Amino acid sequence: MPPKRKAPAAQAGAAKAGRVSAMSTPGPATPRSLDSSVVSDGGDEDFDEDVTEAQVVREGLLEQEADEFVNKWDIKSNRFQSVNETKANDAASHLFRKRDFSHYELKPDHQNRPLWIEPNGTIVLERFSPQAEAATDFLITIAEPKSRPSLLHEYALTTHSLYAAVSVGLRPHDIINTLDRFLKTSLPEAVRRYIQDCTKSYGKVKLVLKNNKYFVESLDTEMLQKLLADDVIRATRVHGSSEITTTYAPTMGGLVIPGTQNAAGLHQANLKHANGGKPGEPGVGDAAAEQDVFAALNEEDDDDDKEAVHSFEISDSSVETVQKRCLDIGFPILEEYDFRNDNVNPNLEIDLRPNTQIRPYQEKSLSKMFGNGRAKSGIIVLPCGAGKTLVGITAACTIKKGVIVLCTSSMSVVQWRQEFLKWSNINPDDITIFTAESKNKFSGSTGIIVTTYSMVTNSRERSHDSKKMMDFLRSREWGLMLLDEVHVVPAEVFRRVISSIKSHSKLGLTATLLREDDKISHLNFLIGPKLYEANWMELSQQGHIAKVQCAEVWCPMPTEFYDEYLRANSHLKRTLYAMNPRKFQACQYLINYHESRGDKIIVFSDELYALKQYALKLKKVFIYGGTGQSERMQVLENFQHNPEVNTLFLSKIGDTSLDLPEATVLIQISSHFGSRRQEAQRLGRILRAKRRNDEGFNAFFYSLVSKDTQEMYYSSKRQAFLVDQGYAFKVITSLANLSETPDLAFATPQERRELLQKTLVENEKGPEQDAETDDLFGQSGRGRGRKKAGVRRIAGTLGELSGGQDMAYIEQNKAMNKGLTKKKKAETQNSFFKKMQREKDKLKGK
Amino acid sequence: MPRAIRGVLIECEPAIKSILVHIDSNELKNDAIIEDLDDTRLVVKEQMVKTLKSRLNEKLKETYRPEQPLEDSD
Repeated sequence: MPPKRKAPAAQAGAAKAGRVSAMSTPGPATPRSLDSSVVSDGGDEDFDEDVTEAQVVREGLLEQEADEFVNKWDIKSNRFQSVNETKANDAASHLFRKRDFSHYELKPDHQNRPLWIEPNGTIVLERFSPQAEAATDFLITIAEPKSRPSLLHEYALTTHSLYAAVSVGLRPHDIINTLDRFLKTSLPEAVRRYIQDCTKSYGKVKLVLKNNKYFVESLDTEMLQKLLADDVIRATRVHGSSEITTTYAPTMGGLVIPGTQNAAGLHQANLKHANGGKPGEPGVGDAAAEQDVFAALNEEDDDDDKEAVHSFEISDSSVETVQKRCLDIGFPILEEYDFRNDNVNPNLEIDLRPNTQIRPYQEKSLSKMFGNGRAKSGIIVLPCGAGKTLVGITAACTIKKGVIVLCTSSMSVVQWRQEFLKWSNINPDDITIFTAESKNKFSGSTGIIVTTYSMVTNSRERSHDSKKMMDFLRSREWGLMLLDEVHVVPAEVFRRVISSIKSHSKLGLTATLLREDDKISHLNFLIGPKLYEANWMELSQQGHIAKVQCAEVWCPMPTEFYDEYLRANSHLKRTLYAMNPRKFQACQYLINYHESRGDKIIVFSDELYALKQYALKLKKVFIYGGTGQSERMQVLENFQHNPEVNTLFLSKIGDTSLDLPEATVLIQISSHFGSRRQEAQRLGRILRAKRRNDEGFNAFFYSLVSKDTQEMYYSSKRQAFLVDQGYAFKVITSLANLSETPDLAFATPQERRELLQKTLVENEKGPEQDAETDDLFGQSGRGRGRKKAGVRRIAGTLGELSGGQDMAYIEQNKAMNKGLTKKKKAETQNSFFKKMQREKDKLKGK
Repeated sequence: MPRAIRGVLIECEPAIKSILVHIDSNELKNDAIIEDLDDTRLVVKEQMVKTLKSRLNEKLKETYRPEQPLEDSD
């Protein structure tokens, strides 16, 4: 298979209007360096600088508000923790300080109950308990998983998780009762109050788009009366509409998520039903029909008491005001989209291909989204390689309205479109791409548009075409907004996207919902709560992702390197611990070992200098930001298909959006400080290993760390996320038989000193920055055209320039990348020469 | 006339030795180390042992808790 995120060659070299300023100073030897803003693969996106100051100020205020709100609802805030509980003191209690909970009395049958709880909302689950399965299901609904190793899982109650629980229909007393049933102790008063407080105000008020009118909806008339008593909200109500209307709550009813087991048989009935259903409010008869279908399915949760729902209408323009006002008075509003009753936006002809079966966990995540037959906004977290794209596509196929897909780079744009065509029966004319290169509208009345965040948020220097396109995007109403890789994009960008494009529901997809700067909580308010988070360990046990053995290899620094390390500044320090000769040897050893087993290996290095030195010395192929497009493709194809190229060195451009199912081993020689996300993303590169279902197969993840350096600290920090997902890192303090490796690099002190001198001299100018191109298959060509421009002046004799000076080169230590090109050329030799060659060989053979 | 200095033999890992040498040359004006024997052994002045110990602790803290702010980018 060709690489997943393959670029059409035409895209290389196409310069983009908004780029000019960033490209002004590419040095001849260094690849173009962009200042590393928060956005990672910034190939054609820079989110900064293109907004007016007023907008920045406004966004600042909004962010502050969000911050305040987040804090207000933190369980640790005083309003929940002020309860005085009598604490027992014994000889041991001072050892636990504030975490002494021995005063909670154990229930007599506590051995049969799986849960422990702390008053700050932390819940610990004993996985070995017979009741663990039931408790896990319950906890996943009401709490967020924090850490899931094999035997003890940790969960935390948060506002968002409770909010999500309420939105799937759980009521406070259900939550409290069930929790109490599983707990070993009684429920702490603080937690009880927290649950009650959160659920009381959360999710009680919903904002529903029905027939393209906004309604504020609630199960409780009192709540609406309370809202209407508020001056601001009353003013926004549409006059002339009846005070409060009452309808019936929708159920999961006839809605079937395509691709699930039920989908096939029910598809026909569902279609008929959807068309036959009365427009407007779902009447009682309609509901009955739904019930029939439902009953026929023999679903277990068959709840037939319909709840009455009350609502009042508000005008379109005041939606934001109402949302904000509701937040102020403590009733955050929940957004839902009743897409089956939306008759204004045309339906899109889209369905999953009949042979597509989605996996059980994908189904589970989607059922959270479409829990009550309406589309809820939120975020779904699945590990890399577990089929996030398919989840997005299935969601689009369920809603069947106009869809806008936002991704991080123009490469993934192409990728998303291909996946849509692959998994669904959508008409290729109905799905278009909006990037700097192509701006097409779809032919029909509705369709799918795939674009990047930057195309939508960039407000400056827009070409005429893209401006027209933007106006088109703004003028429409979208059924679903799919946000790919939500974790990389700063919150302000979302605010801008969400304010400029009107969509009924939003679905965020990511593998690693964490940032070191803790801006994640804002996403919950901007997009929606986390709907589902998959358990990595479970998925790997079921064979959806590969099983991985993780190891941290400690490499001591030779004395001369360490002396230099102590003296160096922080940049040089990083280079030095990457260039540690012992690390080099460990890397060589691991490569030899795994190549002999027939594994395909990727080696990651953030440090460019080290990357090149390693690759040249070990004679392996490598790719970094400055590698040309055609060279990249060639290297990657060779890595995939050529049995002689088994090891690939990659800089951080390969961290994300790289799909090489052949790779089974990953070695990390240098990395970005303590970024947990990078670690997880890199691990993701081997999770989709092709051979994952072979018996006894394991993928390997090695992290090489220089001992006694800062790397040790960063390394332990980086692992935190994966450890929470249940991965265990083995520490290898010394590799067996390392010294017996043939051709071991830097075996003598002499060589080591030379390496040190070379490293120091060549790094005097400071480190070389990796070009922040797009992604592995991206358009790095853009920066290079410029280098040729300008005249070079060289001094030399005429004879030298004309080649008369008798000189010959041989390149020692040359890059393997070049070797690949040559080999290829040799293969395309003329048949005549081939014949000659054969005859020569024959003669030699004799 | 020969002069005698009371010394203490320190035996440690090469990395720690490197740090000690670094401290001696940068912060203590070469006043602590009497003799640098090999990769793992040093002789230092007896009265400087205490200072060396505390400086070493500081240095190790630096190594394992770098001050650098952890920006979120990749």
